[in-house]
Amino acid sequence: MPSFDLGAPINTALLLYILYAVQRILFPPSSSVKSKSTQIPTEFKHGYSWMPKAHPPTVLFTTYTPKTLEPYNGKDGGRILLAIDGTVFDVTAGRNFYGPNGMYGNFAGRDATRGMAKQSFDEEMLTPVDQPLDKCEDLVPEEIENMKGWIDHFSNKYIICGKLVENDAI
Amino acid sequence: MAFQLSDYLVTDDLTILLCLIAASLFLLSNLYKPQPLVHPILLGRQSDVARVRNPGQSAVYRNYGTGMMGRLPVRPAKDINLLTDLVKVDFDAPRTLWSTKITNPELRERFMNFGTGLIRLTNLTAKESNVLVLLDDSIEFLLADLALASHSIASFTLTSLDLLSPVLERHPPDAIICHASFLPQLMELIYDSAETGHHTIIVVGESPDGPLTLAGVRVLKWDDVEKNGKQTEKIISPAPDPNDIFTVSFFSSRPGELRGAQLTHQNLTAGVAAARVLLPLSSAISPLDTIVSAHSMNTAYGRSIAYMAVYEGTSFATLDSTKIFAGAEATAEDTSDLTNVSNLPIPFPTIAFLKPGHVHSLTTSILERAKQSSRLLFQTAWRHKLSGLAEGFLTKDSLWDRIVFEGARQTVVGVGAGTVRGVVVSGGPLEAAALPAARVALSVPIVNAFTNPLVPGPVLASHPLDLQSFPVPGEASSDPFAQHYHCGPPSINVEAKLLGVKDDVVEAGGDPEGALFVRGPSVGKELVFGEDSWEQVNGDEEGWVATGVRGKVVSNGTFKVVVA
Repeated sequence: MPSFDLGAPINTALLLYILYAVQRILFPPSSSVKSKSTQIPTEFKHGYSWMPKAHPPTVLFTTYTPKTLEPYNGKDGGRILLAIDGTVFDVTAGRNFYGPNGMYGNFAGRDATRGMAKQSFDEEMLTPVDQPLDKCEDLVPEEIENMKGWIDHFSNKYIICGKLVENDAI
Repeated sequence: MAFQLSDYLVTDDLTILLCLIAASLFLLSNLYKPQPLVHPILLGRQSDVARVRNPGQSAVYRNYGTGMMGRLPVRPAKDINLLTDLVKVDFDAPRTLWSTKITNPELRERFMNFGTGLIRLTNLTAKESNVLVLLDDSIEFLLADLALASHSIASFTLTSLDLLSPVLERHPPDAIICHASFLPQLMELIYDSAETGHHTIIVVGESPDGPLTLAGVRVLKWDDVEKNGKQTEKIISPAPDPNDIFTVSFFSSRPGELRGAQLTHQNLTAGVAAARVLLPLSSAISPLDTIVSAHSMNTAYGRSIAYMAVYEGTSFATLDSTKIFAGAEATAEDTSDLTNVSNLPIPFPTIAFLKPGHVHSLTTSILERAKQSSRLLFQTAWRHKLSGLAEGFLTKDSLWDRIVFEGARQTVVGVGAGTVRGVVVSGGPLEAAALPAARVALSVPIVNAFTNPLVPGPVLASHPLDLQSFPVPGEASSDPFAQHYHCGPPSINVEAKLLGVKDDVVEAGGDPEGALFVRGPSVGKELVFGEDSWEQVNGDEEGWVATGVRGKVVSNGTFKVVVA
């Protein structure tokens, strides 16, 4: 004859667990228990009503001068900026090209308009930061076309994050 | 030691039984947890944000589904360019619009007859004449609107009665269409304003006081105009361009001012494209639905809902609270407003476009009724529903609905309570603290939309399956946004940004807060009455239009809106 000994410790433990589980199913924990912690979860795994920690990163459109643009050459591991025809592009994503060791590293933090037009990465294409911006009046139409093509390429690939003005304009 | 342990670990058949029961309960509680209706990862990124922002402004936000690179949808389907294209030619199942059972071909026939009759009997010319439509929502409004649009005659509508005299004074129309019961009032206004021009009035319905006459005013009956159009040869006008303005909806946000929203065909098709995706794709709108709306067709938003219903081939009716002209005793926006729609011969409503007052009133009535039936059952059902909501799950067909809530809903709303499958709320702020109760009471997706008189279609619309609820601070909070529920991301064809934002707060990672500006194919142009003439205000040079409210964006891309 099968024995039913409820007094046995294992049976009691199991019975208690069953009663607890049934109580949880029939009477789910009310929301007042959950809202004890007023910290909103920042991961979706930690809760359904979650909120990301931070906004998606946005860059503030800034007006740069050659002097303020120069530090952004990636040498300290920071952002890399590059200017063409008055428009400043954030080319940090292209660190391989425009970083300190990259092929076009000369252009980082500088006005690259003439270099882009003449398709050259030499130092002569860059004007020193304390002099006025390169007016590029001596460029032939083909070179201007080339430069505009580069501006299109950069606009599609990188972020436009500012404009370049003369050193004394700010 | 071992001897004592084995004494305690004595097992018998009851152990096996209890083990099995415990194991199955464990599996049950773990595997049958309610699954969220939409994965929470999607709710963390509801807007697509531009990578650059101008100083003093927030970044440009778009709906995540559209994306920053995507094109903003301009029409609900490929060939719908004009207002009249929304009456689909190839769809001919009958449906009930207000109290008329009609098919699309019949609708086309009727509005073409009316248009022809109108042009023959009055001297309206395309692109120059204006007609003031003083009708409450009815099939005649729809027919007049379609007829005028097809002949490129601009129609004027008013969102409230006190705008009538300013409009008659400053922008006198060539003809007026009104209800018979409103005719005496209108005649008085024309007489008072001593208009020198000759008016033509087309009257809908029978005047209870017999025919009225006034010198210089020609009164025609709607039925006569339609009959004339039916019997004579149809006048076909050249098709208007989608960028032509077909209507001006006059509104005012402050007493004494008069502003007009100029809507083009494209604005309205874009508005319809945005409105029809408010509800989840899995339960998209189909000809089997019945839509009821608490927004008058005289407003841009109400017009786009009506045309969405016409386009989708559903039955459609508006609530009594939308009436402005005939019978303008202010109907309260509450449950009785919704239940009175059953007086019309439409099928039971399935999708309701309501105002916050309706939702609040419905929630309190349903919950009160549910509490009356059985206190204990209500408490248990309430706990179950709330725990489901905390997991992101909500359904109308659960056990607790059948036991407690469905009965309450049927008592409050009537027999048709079970058919409502979606509610879109707009027209005022929705309180965040009251929303879980509303969700439990209605148990259908509730979409909170923000609308603007200049934009047909919603400007911002929350995700229909978003059941997140965040702690709401107490009454003493100084943040005006805190008490309101969020309006979600921008709708699929609207771009939004905030102006007047504090840069230091945003650079430090805070939420941008400022004046809400929008841009998109559904945003109309504004007509403002200057010192003594009308000026068109086009928004700024990039097309951004001010909405007049303050907004705040939080990190998951949803906007909260507060009227400035």
